[in-house]
Amino acid sequence: MRWLRLWAAKATGLLKGKRLDSEFEAEIESHLHLLTERYLRQGMSSAEAATAARRQFGNVALLQQKQRAQWSFVSPAEWWGDTRFGLRMMRKKSRSNAAVVLALALGIGMNVAVFSFVNALLLRPPAGVSAMGSLLEIWLHSRTSTGVQSYLPFTYPDYAYYRDQSRALEGVLAFDGDGAPTIWNRSGEGQVIQRQLVSGNYFPLLGVHATLGRVISTGDDQPASPHPVVVLSHSFWQRELASDPGIVGRTLVLNGAAFSVIGVAPPGFAGLLVGIAPDFWVPLTSQAQFTHDKERLTNRNAYWLIVAGRMRTGVDARKAQAEMHVLAHQRELNYPDSNKNLDAIVYPATLVPGPYRGYVSAFTGLLLAVFALVLATACTNAASLLLARATGRAREMAIRSALGAGRARLIRQMLVESLLLSAIAGMAGVMLAWWFARLLLELKPASLPVTIEVPLDWRVLLFALLVSLTTGIVFGLVPALRSAAVNAAPVLKEETQSGGLRKSRLRSLLLIGEIAACVVLLAGATLCVRSLMHANSIDPGFDTQHIAVTTLDPGTLGYSPEKVDAFYRRLMGRVLALPGVTAASYVNHLPLGTSREATSVGRHVGHDPDPLLVNVFRVEPGYFSAMGTTLLSGRDFTQQESDSPDAGVVIVNDVLARKLWPGQNPVGKRIALGGEKATSEVIGVVKSGKYRTLGEGPVGVVFRGTLPPARTLVLRTSGDARPLLEEVRRTVQVVDPMMAATGTQTIEEYMALPLFPARTTGLLLGASGILAVTLTAIGLFAVIAYVVSQRTHEIGVRMALGARPTDVLKIVMRQGMVVTSIGLCIGLAAAFGAARLLAPLLYGIGANDPATLVGVAVGVTAVAMLACYVPARRAMRVDPAVALRCE
Amino acid sequence: MGEKKSDVLQGTLDLMVLKTLHAMGPLHGFGIARRIEQLSKDVLQLNEGTVYTSLLRLQQQGWIGSRWGTSENNRKARFYSITRQGKKQLELETENWERIAAVIGRVLRLERQG
Repeated sequence: MRWLRLWAAKATGLLKGKRLDSEFEAEIESHLHLLTERYLRQGMSSAEAATAARRQFGNVALLQQKQRAQWSFVSPAEWWGDTRFGLRMMRKKSRSNAAVVLALALGIGMNVAVFSFVNALLLRPPAGVSAMGSLLEIWLHSRTSTGVQSYLPFTYPDYAYYRDQSRALEGVLAFDGDGAPTIWNRSGEGQVIQRQLVSGNYFPLLGVHATLGRVISTGDDQPASPHPVVVLSHSFWQRELASDPGIVGRTLVLNGAAFSVIGVAPPGFAGLLVGIAPDFWVPLTSQAQFTHDKERLTNRNAYWLIVAGRMRTGVDARKAQAEMHVLAHQRELNYPDSNKNLDAIVYPATLVPGPYRGYVSAFTGLLLAVFALVLATACTNAASLLLARATGRAREMAIRSALGAGRARLIRQMLVESLLLSAIAGMAGVMLAWWFARLLLELKPASLPVTIEVPLDWRVLLFALLVSLTTGIVFGLVPALRSAAVNAAPVLKEETQSGGLRKSRLRSLLLIGEIAACVVLLAGATLCVRSLMHANSIDPGFDTQHIAVTTLDPGTLGYSPEKVDAFYRRLMGRVLALPGVTAASYVNHLPLGTSREATSVGRHVGHDPDPLLVNVFRVEPGYFSAMGTTLLSGRDFTQQESDSPDAGVVIVNDVLARKLWPGQNPVGKRIALGGEKATSEVIGVVKSGKYRTLGEGPVGVVFRGTLPPARTLVLRTSGDARPLLEEVRRTVQVVDPMMAATGTQTIEEYMALPLFPARTTGLLLGASGILAVTLTAIGLFAVIAYVVSQRTHEIGVRMALGARPTDVLKIVMRQGMVVTSIGLCIGLAAAFGAARLLAPLLYGIGANDPATLVGVAVGVTAVAMLACYVPARRAMRVDPAVALRCE
Repeated sequence: MGEKKSDVLQGTLDLMVLKTLHAMGPLHGFGIARRIEQLSKDVLQLNEGTVYTSLLRLQQQGWIGSRWGTSENNRKARFYSITRQGKKQLELETENWERIAAVIGRVLRLERQG
């Protein structure tokens, strides 16, 4: 209750401020009068008496101020005064302030941009889902392996078991976790759109209701008789169907089968997985219409479902996990052949699947650390600038303190000024972050079938606010404490150079920290940029220009093998006739993509003492000439060899040839492929390249025939491949109007995918390195220039006493170089440790590459020398007569 | 800013002002300052201005009230008087003070023996 009364009193104070003020003044006046009268009676002169009375009463102005503060809450008037004064100070030094604000804004902007990705991937709940808090993801976990590979999605039988047996979970939903292109027959022409298969309880459990019509229900999703119904995404409905209000009840032909539209999902809802934005949802049990795999719902080895459950009220994640262990154990007992050692692990549901969250947080964490370091550098700059300015304002502070301003009052004044700077920087930073985030999204290769929303929502804005506030306090506090600790008397007596030593030592410490941070950032930047250069110059084993590629899958339309072959033959005939095309072929998937096929090989059938694991590519004749891969010896496949499943011929790369038959001619040798009863003959050897990642070591590869229905068409042209792309798309439609080509692109565009990690880190760390060097150079320059201006008098004396300009230059340079070399040593040691974190992202270069570290050391020293030399030259030209006169 | 005066604890001054008003009845600020000066026999010296800060604090807590009147020499002056709540608070604070003073006294004696 006491605080209530106090606030009430303060509130009346606020209302009656003027009157209370004048009453109080009258009271003091009368008190002083009475005191004066008393001294007069003691025999003092009237002037003496008045002085004595004032001394006994104390500081009237301060008392009045305190009184006013007591009446009001936080004295908004004072804060406003501080703010106005701060703004005025800022305008006065607008140029150096603009530099500080710009540096801080860049630092804050980069941090906020990275955080907006963290938010988009890990923090933000999926749009439109109301029940996210009570959702748990469930993953099968193999006890016998480790890492991300040990986590498996569910099989349908496992899913059905957990769904029916769980008591802790109110319901268990499942959906197909892969991006799944589907051909939509849009009035006779095929168009590729994305589907997601979902269980019947998917929408009800998520609490998602249809904007139009209804959502898929459990009744639609019966294994015996799945209903051919489809729910459209809001954006698809808007984009492709012009928001047709009468869409419910219409029929869409998807992969050749008719589905009737039952509803439209709410705006923004895009499922539970980041990066995948389905255009439509269909019942899980209708999967055979899309995959043409009739066994999948009963297959206990097909792991394809992402599963999540909603906890009952009163159940927490721990209880649910305990139950999952029990269910997993039961499954192990019932189906030891498929479920041996398979446990079930729960994760709180977010947009990134549980097992992958560690990787995402590690990468974004690394980036946040890098940009936090950049921001720290910017802070150091701002702090040393304010420190320098505080020394210049020592007189102002001394006068304020002599007039009765307390230490807290002075600190507040200074903090308000630094917070103003950081607030402006924060606002600019948010704008920059918006732009950075767009820029980062641009880096994403077009071939990656992933859509990411990076909203600047309240979490990001809150983060920006916190970062800006912290920044303002971090760089403002030390200068504020320093200037508040002013000793009024000597300053006011015009003694110069007060407290100079301690202050310059603090500035040196700040500079050392800044240089060390700069070295770390620059080392990281150099490593990443050099690694990017390496990655660009790595020979992938095929040409990276004059090639167009496109992916086709007639299998989705349910074509028979004969019809698939006929389609591809007719297409090949047409594309070879396109102008400029010199060679064309098919491959099951391109190297360096996301798909792989592997097998073991040996020299003999049966138990080879040392089987080798190799990658397999299935190709048609002409693949090597179309891709520009050199055939070292032997010959290419014939069409007949490529078509026949038991042709018994393969082509190997020279890495495998050297491993299996060192020093011999491999052509004509026999090779045993895993799982096959007869050996195959090696008919040719091609030059090795890169197959999974650009950074990999030598990998053995077997090329063979018999391609699946899903293939990539490779076209070689004599000129630019770009104009060819539209021709290819049209040709596909001409050959079969129902087919749609996906990923039609030039090989340069295709290479954006394998180069993505190197390009991203190269760009991000490169930018941070350049920023750090610039900031450090500015910081060093500003501090040395300031020191020179403070020491003008001293330098004048030295020169008057006979010091030569070179001696002066030496003194000033030495001061800068001592700081630089200490910072350099600390920085190199830190860089040596920090670079290890980068190691997995680097190509063809060690994390502790000595050349890089030496180069960085030389570079930083050179920049530092330049930053010191400019002000030092000014010191050299000091005219002793002028310098001595100015005191 | 003049010679150093021995600091008076904020809470202590409030307590002294409250007690003075309790013992002497309604008084103006000058009167309270004189009374404290007289009683403390120059052991405690204070800027008399701080009495007013203390008075405002006490008033905002509702422990004292004030009204305008005329002083002995016919000047307009504000007279302060203790309220019922103030008396309760005074009892409480007095008890509190004595307890603390007793503890401190014990501790100090203990040190002399040791």
